[in-house]
Amino acid sequence: MSGLGGVLNDASMSPQPVTLAQLTQRHRGEIVGYLARLLGDRQEAEDACQEAFMRAHRAFDRLGPDANSRAWLYRIATNTGLNAARRRSHRAARVADVDPDALPAAAGPSLERREELRAIRRAVEALPPRQRAVLMLRLFHDLGYAEIAATLGGNEVAARANVYQALKKLRAALGGVR
Amino acid sequence: MTTHDDELIALLLRDRRRSPALTRWLGTLEGRRELRAYRRTLDALQQLYGDAGAAPRRIIYYYCALPTPIGRLFVAASEAGLARVSFRQSEASFVAELRQGIGADVVRSPARTADVVHRLRAYFAGERRRFDVRLDLRHTTPFQRRVLMAAARVPAGQVVSYGEIARRIGQPRGSRAVGQALKHNPVPIVIPCHRVVAAGERIGGYGGGLGIKRKLLRLEGSAAASW
Repeated sequence: MSGLGGVLNDASMSPQPVTLAQLTQRHRGEIVGYLARLLGDRQEAEDACQEAFMRAHRAFDRLGPDANSRAWLYRIATNTGLNAARRRSHRAARVADVDPDALPAAAGPSLERREELRAIRRAVEALPPRQRAVLMLRLFHDLGYAEIAATLGGNEVAARANVYQALKKLRAALGGVR
Repeated sequence: MTTHDDELIALLLRDRRRSPALTRWLGTLEGRRELRAYRRTLDALQQLYGDAGAAPRRIIYYYCALPTPIGRLFVAASEAGLARVSFRQSEASFVAELRQGIGADVVRSPARTADVVHRLRAYFAGERRRFDVRLDLRHTTPFQRRVLMAAARVPAGQVVSYGEIARRIGQPRGSRAVGQALKHNPVPIVIPCHRVVAAGERIGGYGGGLGIKRKLLRLEGSAAASW
Protein backbone atom coordinates (compact mmCIF):
# COMPACT_ATOMS: atom_id res chain seq x y z
CA MET A 1 0.00 0.00 0.00
CA SER A 2 1.45 3.31 -0.91
CA GLY A 3 1.58 6.17 1.51
CA LEU A 4 -1.41 8.14 0.52
CA GLY A 5 -1.14 11.08 2.76
CA GLY A 6 -2.15 14.59 2.54
CA VAL A 7 -0.12 17.27 4.11
CA LEU A 8 -1.99 20.01 5.79
CA ASN A 9 0.60 22.65 5.22
CA ASP A 10 0.22 22.04 1.48
CA ALA A 11 -3.48 22.32 1.91
CA SER A 12 -3.18 25.59 3.76
CA MET A 13 -1.32 26.97 0.78
CA SER A 14 2.02 27.25 2.45
CA PRO A 15 5.02 26.49 0.26
CA GLN A 16 6.19 23.04 -0.75
CA PRO A 17 8.55 21.22 1.56
CA VAL A 18 11.72 23.20 1.22
CA THR A 19 14.35 20.54 1.25
CA LEU A 20 14.90 17.40 -0.71
CA ALA A 21 15.48 15.64 2.59
CA GLN A 22 11.88 16.36 3.55
CA LEU A 23 10.64 15.15 0.19
CA THR A 24 12.74 12.02 0.51
CA GLN A 25 11.46 11.27 3.95
CA ARG A 26 7.89 11.76 2.89
CA HIS A 27 7.89 9.84 -0.38
CA ARG A 28 10.72 7.33 -0.32
CA GLY A 29 8.46 4.51 0.86
CA GLU A 30 5.91 4.88 -1.90
CA ILE A 31 8.56 5.42 -4.57
CA VAL A 32 10.45 2.25 -3.67
CA GLY A 33 7.10 0.42 -3.62
CA TYR A 34 6.33 1.75 -7.08
CA LEU A 35 9.70 0.66 -8.41
CA ALA A 36 9.20 -2.78 -6.89
CA ARG A 37 5.90 -3.05 -8.74
CA LEU A 38 7.50 -1.83 -11.92
CA LEU A 39 10.57 -4.05 -11.74
CA GLY A 40 9.17 -6.99 -9.81
CA ASP A 41 12.26 -7.19 -7.65
CA ARG A 42 12.79 -5.61 -4.29
CA GLN A 43 16.57 -5.33 -4.54
CA GLU A 44 16.52 -3.82 -8.00
CA ALA A 45 13.84 -1.45 -6.76
CA GLU A 46 16.04 -0.33 -3.88
CA ASP A 47 18.92 0.34 -6.28
CA ALA A 48 16.71 2.19 -8.73
CA CYS A 49 15.20 4.22 -5.88
CA GLN A 50 18.62 5.32 -4.75
CA GLU A 51 19.48 6.34 -8.29
CA ALA A 52 16.16 8.17 -8.66
CA PHE A 53 16.77 10.25 -5.55
CA MET A 54 20.28 11.05 -6.75
CA ARG A 55 18.79 12.33 -9.99
CA ALA A 56 16.20 14.24 -8.01
CA HIS A 57 19.02 15.79 -6.04
CA ARG A 58 20.70 17.03 -9.21
CA ALA A 59 17.44 18.37 -10.65
CA PHE A 60 16.03 19.80 -7.43
CA ASP A 61 17.00 23.39 -8.24
CA ARG A 62 14.83 23.30 -11.31
CA LEU A 63 11.72 22.26 -9.39
CA GLY A 64 9.45 25.29 -9.31
CA PRO A 65 7.96 26.35 -5.98
CA ASP A 66 4.43 25.60 -7.18
CA ALA A 67 5.24 22.30 -8.85
CA ASN A 68 3.58 19.09 -7.78
CA SER A 69 6.64 17.59 -6.14
CA ARG A 70 5.11 14.15 -5.74
CA ALA A 71 4.32 13.84 -9.45
CA TRP A 72 7.79 15.19 -10.19
CA LEU A 73 9.35 12.40 -8.10
CA TYR A 74 7.20 9.83 -9.84
CA ARG A 75 8.39 11.11 -13.19
CA ILE A 76 12.03 10.73 -12.19
CA ALA A 77 11.36 7.31 -10.66
CA THR A 78 9.56 6.18 -13.81
CA ASN A 79 12.45 7.21 -16.06
CA THR A 80 14.93 5.53 -13.76
CA GLY A 81 12.81 2.39 -13.50
CA LEU A 82 12.26 2.12 -17.24
CA ASN A 83 15.99 2.52 -17.83
CA ALA A 84 16.67 -0.23 -15.34
CA ALA A 85 14.13 -2.47 -17.06
CA ARG A 86 15.74 -1.76 -20.43
CA ARG A 87 19.22 -2.55 -19.12
CA ARG A 88 17.91 -5.75 -17.69
CA SER A 89 16.28 -6.84 -20.93
CA HIS A 90 19.73 -6.75 -22.51
CA ARG A 91 20.94 -9.14 -19.87
CA ALA A 92 19.49 -12.57 -19.32
CA ALA A 93 15.75 -12.53 -18.79
CA ARG A 94 14.87 -12.73 -15.15
CA VAL A 95 11.90 -14.80 -14.18
CA ALA A 96 11.22 -14.34 -10.51
CA ASP A 97 8.55 -11.77 -9.93
CA VAL A 98 6.22 -11.91 -6.98
CA ASP A 99 5.91 -15.62 -6.28
CA PRO A 100 2.37 -16.78 -5.58
CA ASP A 101 3.77 -19.70 -3.60
CA ALA A 102 5.60 -17.31 -1.33
CA LEU A 103 2.50 -15.35 -0.40
CA PRO A 104 1.60 -15.36 3.29
CA ALA A 105 -0.06 -18.57 4.32
CA ALA A 106 -2.98 -16.59 5.68
CA ALA A 107 -3.85 -15.66 2.12
CA GLY A 108 -4.14 -19.41 1.56
CA PRO A 109 -4.76 -19.39 -2.16
CA SER A 110 -6.23 -22.62 -3.45
CA LEU A 111 -4.42 -24.54 -6.15
CA GLU A 112 -6.74 -23.10 -8.72
CA ARG A 113 -6.32 -19.58 -7.47
CA ARG A 114 -2.56 -20.03 -7.53
CA GLU A 115 -2.83 -20.95 -11.20
CA GLU A 116 -4.74 -17.74 -11.76
CA LEU A 117 -2.20 -15.69 -9.88
CA ARG A 118 0.58 -17.23 -11.94
CA ALA A 119 -1.26 -16.46 -15.16
CA ILE A 120 -1.77 -12.84 -14.14
CA ARG A 121 1.84 -12.51 -13.05
CA ARG A 122 3.09 -13.81 -16.39
CA ALA A 123 0.76 -11.43 -18.19
CA VAL A 124 2.02 -8.50 -16.13
CA GLU A 125 5.61 -9.45 -16.94
CA ALA A 126 4.70 -9.56 -20.61
CA LEU A 127 3.31 -6.00 -20.59
CA PRO A 128 5.47 -3.34 -22.20
CA PRO A 129 7.24 -1.60 -19.30
CA ARG A 130 5.49 1.72 -19.88
CA GLN A 131 2.11 0.03 -19.80
CA ARG A 132 3.05 -1.75 -16.61
CA ALA A 133 4.06 1.62 -15.17
CA VAL A 134 0.74 3.32 -15.95
CA LEU A 135 -1.19 0.37 -14.57
CA MET A 136 0.68 0.41 -11.28
CA LEU A 137 0.42 4.19 -10.98
CA ARG A 138 -3.33 4.04 -11.48
CA LEU A 139 -4.04 1.02 -9.27
CA PHE A 140 -1.67 1.47 -6.39
CA HIS A 141 -0.39 5.02 -6.34
CA ASP A 142 -3.54 6.98 -6.69
CA LEU A 143 -2.35 9.06 -9.60
CA GLY A 144 -5.11 10.44 -11.81
CA TYR A 145 -4.86 10.15 -15.58
CA ALA A 146 -3.70 13.74 -15.90
CA GLU A 147 -0.89 13.09 -13.42
CA ILE A 148 -0.01 9.85 -15.16
CA ALA A 149 0.19 11.73 -18.45
CA ALA A 150 2.43 14.31 -16.79
CA THR A 151 4.59 11.49 -15.45
CA LEU A 152 4.98 9.46 -18.61
CA GLY A 153 4.21 11.93 -21.37
CA GLY A 154 1.22 11.85 -23.68
CA ASN A 155 -2.24 13.02 -22.75
CA GLU A 156 -4.97 11.97 -20.35
CA VAL A 157 -6.96 10.05 -22.96
CA ALA A 158 -3.92 8.02 -23.96
CA ALA A 159 -3.02 7.34 -20.32
CA ARG A 160 -6.47 6.01 -19.63
CA ALA A 161 -6.55 3.92 -22.81
CA ASN A 162 -3.21 2.46 -21.80
CA VAL A 163 -4.48 1.41 -18.38
CA TYR A 164 -7.60 -0.16 -19.89
CA GLN A 165 -5.57 -1.93 -22.56
CA ALA A 166 -3.34 -3.44 -19.87
CA LEU A 167 -6.34 -4.70 -17.89
CA LYS A 168 -7.88 -6.25 -20.99
CA LYS A 169 -4.67 -8.16 -21.65
CA LEU A 170 -4.56 -9.38 -18.06
CA ARG A 171 -8.18 -10.41 -18.09
CA ALA A 172 -7.55 -12.33 -21.33
CA ALA A 173 -4.80 -14.24 -19.54
CA LEU A 174 -7.41 -15.71 -17.21
CA GLY A 175 -9.19 -17.30 -20.16
CA GLY A 176 -12.62 -18.75 -19.49
CA VAL A 177 -13.92 -18.08 -16.01
CA ARG A 178 -16.82 -20.01 -14.63
CA MET B 1 -13.13 -9.40 -25.56
CA THR B 2 -16.53 -7.75 -25.66
CA THR B 3 -17.79 -4.35 -26.71
CA HIS B 4 -18.50 -3.51 -23.09
CA ASP B 5 -14.98 -4.02 -21.76
CA ASP B 6 -14.09 -0.34 -21.53
CA GLU B 7 -17.28 0.56 -19.76
CA LEU B 8 -16.91 -2.31 -17.34
CA ILE B 9 -13.33 -1.36 -16.51
CA ALA B 10 -14.39 2.25 -16.05
CA LEU B 11 -17.01 1.08 -13.59
CA LEU B 12 -14.63 -1.11 -11.62
CA LEU B 13 -11.98 1.61 -11.44
CA ARG B 14 -14.68 4.12 -10.53
CA ASP B 15 -13.76 6.28 -13.48
CA ARG B 16 -17.36 6.50 -14.55
CA ARG B 17 -20.79 5.55 -13.34
CA ARG B 18 -22.71 2.68 -14.86
CA SER B 19 -24.88 3.46 -17.83
CA PRO B 20 -28.29 1.83 -18.38
CA ALA B 21 -26.80 -0.13 -21.29
CA LEU B 22 -24.05 -1.54 -19.08
CA THR B 23 -26.55 -2.43 -16.37
CA ARG B 24 -28.57 -4.40 -18.91
CA TRP B 25 -25.48 -6.18 -20.16
CA LEU B 26 -24.38 -7.05 -16.63
CA GLY B 27 -27.67 -8.91 -16.32
CA THR B 28 -26.73 -11.24 -19.15
CA LEU B 29 -24.70 -14.41 -18.85
CA GLU B 30 -21.79 -12.84 -20.68
CA GLY B 31 -21.94 -9.69 -18.59
CA ARG B 32 -21.88 -11.61 -15.33
CA ARG B 33 -18.98 -13.73 -16.53
CA GLU B 34 -16.93 -10.71 -17.58
CA LEU B 35 -17.65 -8.87 -14.35
CA ARG B 36 -16.41 -11.89 -12.44
CA ALA B 37 -13.32 -12.21 -14.64
CA TYR B 38 -12.33 -8.55 -14.26
CA ARG B 39 -12.90 -8.67 -10.53
CA ARG B 40 -10.64 -11.70 -10.26
CA THR B 41 -8.04 -9.94 -12.38
CA LEU B 42 -8.06 -6.91 -10.09
CA ASP B 43 -8.05 -9.10 -6.97
CA ALA B 44 -5.06 -11.01 -8.31
CA LEU B 45 -3.22 -7.75 -8.98
CA GLN B 46 -4.00 -6.62 -5.47
CA GLN B 47 -2.74 -9.88 -4.04
CA LEU B 48 0.41 -9.94 -6.15
CA TYR B 49 1.36 -6.29 -6.17
CA GLY B 50 -0.76 -4.65 -3.52
CA ASP B 51 0.96 -5.13 -0.23
CA ALA B 52 3.72 -7.50 -1.29
CA GLY B 53 5.17 -4.89 -3.61
CA ALA B 54 5.22 -1.94 -1.36
CA ALA B 55 4.65 -2.48 2.30
CA PRO B 56 6.63 -5.35 3.71
CA ARG B 57 5.95 -4.09 7.20
CA ARG B 58 2.58 -4.23 8.82
CA ILE B 59 1.09 -0.86 9.60
CA ILE B 60 1.20 0.16 13.24
CA TYR B 61 -1.17 2.76 14.61
CA TYR B 62 -0.18 4.58 17.76
CA TYR B 63 -2.99 6.14 19.67
CA CYS B 64 -3.85 8.03 22.80
CA ALA B 65 -6.69 9.88 24.46
CA LEU B 66 -6.97 13.48 25.54
CA PRO B 67 -9.66 15.36 27.46
CA THR B 68 -11.16 18.36 25.65
CA PRO B 69 -14.15 20.69 26.10
CA ILE B 70 -16.12 18.47 23.71
CA GLY B 71 -15.31 15.30 25.59
CA ARG B 72 -12.58 12.73 25.39
CA LEU B 73 -10.85 12.56 22.01
CA PHE B 74 -8.88 9.65 20.64
CA VAL B 75 -6.18 10.20 18.05
CA ALA B 76 -4.25 7.58 16.09
CA ALA B 77 -1.22 8.07 13.89
CA SER B 78 0.92 5.81 11.71
CA GLU B 79 4.48 6.43 10.56
CA ALA B 80 2.95 8.30 7.64
CA GLY B 81 0.91 10.70 9.72
CA LEU B 82 -2.30 11.32 11.61
CA ALA B 83 -4.90 8.74 10.60
CA ARG B 84 -7.84 9.09 12.96
CA VAL B 85 -9.49 11.53 15.30
CA SER B 86 -12.56 10.32 17.12
CA PHE B 87 -14.88 11.53 19.82
CA ARG B 88 -17.94 10.10 21.53
CA GLN B 89 -16.49 6.63 21.27
CA SER B 90 -15.18 4.18 23.86
CA GLU B 91 -11.52 3.25 23.84
CA ALA B 92 -12.37 -0.40 23.15
CA SER B 93 -14.46 0.41 20.12
CA PHE B 94 -11.89 2.93 18.80
CA VAL B 95 -9.14 0.32 19.01
CA ALA B 96 -11.34 -2.42 17.56
CA GLU B 97 -12.24 -0.20 14.65
CA LEU B 98 -8.61 0.58 13.88
CA ARG B 99 -7.59 -3.03 14.20
CA GLN B 100 -10.35 -4.56 12.15
CA GLY B 101 -11.38 -1.86 9.76
CA ILE B 102 -7.84 -1.04 8.80
CA GLY B 103 -6.16 -4.35 9.61
CA ALA B 104 -3.25 -3.02 11.59
CA ASP B 105 -1.47 -3.34 14.89
CA VAL B 106 -2.65 -0.82 17.43
CA VAL B 107 -0.44 0.42 20.24
CA ARG B 108 -1.18 3.00 22.92
CA SER B 109 1.62 5.55 22.80
CA PRO B 110 1.42 9.11 24.16
CA ALA B 111 5.00 9.66 22.93
CA ARG B 112 4.24 8.88 19.28
CA THR B 113 1.14 11.03 19.30
CA ALA B 114 2.56 13.92 21.32
CA ASP B 115 2.78 16.26 18.33
CA VAL B 116 -0.84 16.19 17.38
CA VAL B 117 -2.03 16.09 21.00
CA HIS B 118 -0.02 19.22 21.70
CA ARG B 119 -1.62 20.97 18.74
CA LEU B 120 -5.12 19.88 19.67
CA ARG B 121 -4.65 21.18 23.22
CA ALA B 122 -3.52 24.52 21.85
CA TYR B 123 -6.49 24.58 19.51
CA PHE B 124 -8.99 24.00 22.30
CA ALA B 125 -7.21 26.62 24.41
CA GLY B 126 -7.80 29.08 21.56
CA GLU B 127 -4.08 29.43 20.93
CA ARG B 128 -3.95 27.73 17.56
CA ARG B 129 -6.16 28.17 14.52
CA ARG B 130 -4.62 25.79 12.06
CA PHE B 131 -2.91 22.44 12.16
CA ASP B 132 0.23 21.64 10.29
CA VAL B 133 0.47 17.92 10.65
CA ARG B 134 1.09 15.16 8.16
CA LEU B 135 -1.89 12.98 7.44
CA ASP B 136 -2.25 9.34 6.60
CA LEU B 137 -5.34 9.23 4.41
CA ARG B 138 -4.61 5.94 2.69
CA HIS B 139 -7.99 4.54 3.60
CA THR B 140 -9.94 7.25 1.86
CA THR B 141 -10.88 7.40 -1.81
CA PRO B 142 -9.29 9.90 -4.22
CA PHE B 143 -12.57 11.81 -4.36
CA GLN B 144 -12.81 11.96 -0.60
CA ARG B 145 -9.25 13.22 -0.35
CA ARG B 146 -10.01 16.06 -2.74
CA VAL B 147 -13.01 17.01 -0.65
CA LEU B 148 -11.05 16.78 2.59
CA MET B 149 -8.20 18.87 1.23
CA ALA B 150 -10.67 21.51 0.06
CA ALA B 151 -12.25 21.56 3.53
CA ALA B 152 -8.80 21.86 5.09
CA ARG B 153 -8.31 25.17 3.26
CA VAL B 154 -11.26 26.83 4.98
CA PRO B 155 -9.70 29.02 7.65
CA ALA B 156 -10.91 29.11 11.26
CA GLY B 157 -13.63 31.68 11.81
CA GLN B 158 -15.13 31.12 8.37
CA VAL B 159 -17.60 28.65 6.94
CA VAL B 160 -18.42 27.55 3.40
CA SER B 161 -21.31 25.56 1.98
CA TYR B 162 -21.24 21.99 0.71
CA GLY B 163 -21.99 23.42 -2.73
CA GLU B 164 -19.01 25.75 -2.52
CA ILE B 165 -16.69 22.83 -1.71
CA ALA B 166 -18.21 20.97 -4.66
CA ARG B 167 -17.42 23.96 -6.90
CA ARG B 168 -13.89 24.23 -5.55
CA ILE B 169 -13.09 20.65 -6.47
CA GLY B 170 -14.58 21.15 -9.90
CA GLN B 171 -17.75 19.11 -9.36
CA PRO B 172 -20.38 21.82 -9.04
CA ARG B 173 -23.22 19.33 -8.90
CA GLY B 174 -21.60 17.11 -6.32
CA SER B 175 -22.69 18.76 -3.07
CA ARG B 176 -24.43 15.61 -1.83
CA ALA B 177 -21.32 13.54 -2.50
CA VAL B 178 -19.31 16.23 -0.71
CA GLY B 179 -21.59 15.84 2.32
CA GLN B 180 -21.07 12.09 2.27
CA ALA B 181 -17.29 12.43 1.96
CA LEU B 182 -17.18 14.84 4.90
CA LYS B 183 -19.43 12.62 6.97
CA HIS B 184 -16.68 10.00 6.76
CA ASN B 185 -13.85 12.42 7.53
CA PRO B 186 -11.34 10.24 9.42
CA VAL B 187 -9.71 13.26 11.09
CA PRO B 188 -12.44 15.68 12.20
CA ILE B 189 -11.35 18.95 13.85
CA VAL B 190 -7.90 18.65 12.22
CA ILE B 191 -9.64 18.68 8.85
CA PRO B 192 -12.37 21.10 9.81
CA CYS B 193 -15.46 19.56 8.26
CA HIS B 194 -17.39 21.50 10.91
CA ARG B 195 -16.68 24.62 8.82
CA VAL B 196 -18.77 23.24 5.99
CA VAL B 197 -22.44 24.11 6.35
CA ALA B 198 -25.68 23.93 4.36
CA ALA B 199 -26.76 26.70 1.99
CA GLY B 200 -28.79 29.63 3.26
CA GLU B 201 -27.27 30.02 6.70
CA ARG B 202 -28.25 26.57 7.85
CA ILE B 203 -25.80 24.64 9.96
CA GLY B 204 -26.05 21.32 8.08
CA GLY B 205 -25.11 18.00 9.67
CA TYR B 206 -22.25 16.71 11.75
CA GLY B 207 -21.16 13.20 12.57
CA GLY B 208 -20.36 14.16 16.14
CA GLY B 209 -23.71 15.91 16.65
CA LEU B 210 -24.75 19.49 15.99
CA GLY B 211 -24.00 20.52 19.59
CA ILE B 212 -20.33 19.79 19.00
CA LYS B 213 -20.35 21.47 15.59
CA ARG B 214 -21.72 24.68 17.16
CA LYS B 215 -19.24 24.44 20.01
CA LEU B 216 -16.31 24.20 17.63
CA LEU B 217 -17.58 27.10 15.53
CA ARG B 218 -18.10 29.20 18.66
CA LEU B 219 -14.57 28.40 19.79
CA GLU B 220 -13.34 29.75 16.45
CA GLY B 221 -15.45 32.88 16.77
CA SER B 222 -17.60 32.00 13.80
CA ALA B 223 -20.98 33.69 13.40
CA ALA B 224 -22.34 30.41 12.09
CA ALA B 225 -22.27 29.04 15.65
CA SER B 226 -25.65 30.62 16.32
CA TRP B 227 -27.40 29.26 13.21
